[in-house]
Amino acid sequence: MGSRAVEIAAILVVAAFLVLSLGGEHPEETPVRAYVIEHGLAQTGAANLVTSIYLGYRAFDTLGETIVLLLAVSGVVLLVEHRR
Amino acid sequence: MRKTDILDVVSRKLAPFMFLFGLYLVSHGDLSPGGGFQGGVVIASGVILLAMAKGSAAAAALLPLRRLAVTEAVVFGLILAAGFAGVVTGVGFLADVLYDGSPLPVVRTPFVFILNLLIGLKVGAGASLICLHLFAQE
Repeated sequence: MGSRAVEIAAILVVAAFLVLSLGGEHPEETPVRAYVIEHGLAQTGAANLVTSIYLGYRAFDTLGETIVLLLAVSGVVLLVEHRR
Repeated sequence: MRKTDILDVVSRKLAPFMFLFGLYLVSHGDLSPGGGFQGGVVIASGVILLAMAKGSAAAAALLPLRRLAVTEAVVFGLILAAGFAGVVTGVGFLADVLYDGSPLPVVRTPFVFILNLLIGLKVGAGASLICLHLFAQE
């Protein structure tokens, strides 16, 4: 019965954390956020601001992510073909 | 393992719509939520659904592993080429080479669309390739 109470308490703590962290607008106004909202469409041409960041301002970062995927595929193919 | 007709019929009817939705996410990534990565993963999940319902051999017959691997590599080369096109034309690595300086917003930006399309192809091929290789191990 004691472990059950610990589990419930842990779930409540996690739930409270999620409600506090995910509930509603992020209150902090950062300069970068205001800049992207104001200039994102005009500078990159993408109406979706997330896209304007990951293909406009940070396209180099996206290139790195595709390299990560390429390495993951290479690793899987190498291991699978090696086992055969 | 014996499979029911329900799984067979539903997966074959559902997979084309998953491909269509993935293409929509990829091609409208600069306008609405979505993009190359998300759309590519949706396309790959259609392939995975077919592979789980019809067997990995049938999925590999539809999309040969060799062709997927070549797609993955060639599209990565194309992304690098799109990046170095900016270096050649003098706007910087991976910068928008098709933007001519006219006042934005235009209707669509071709460069972001092309990058989304390439990334969608690459992620779709890569994720399908990983899963089909692992399924083929069973």
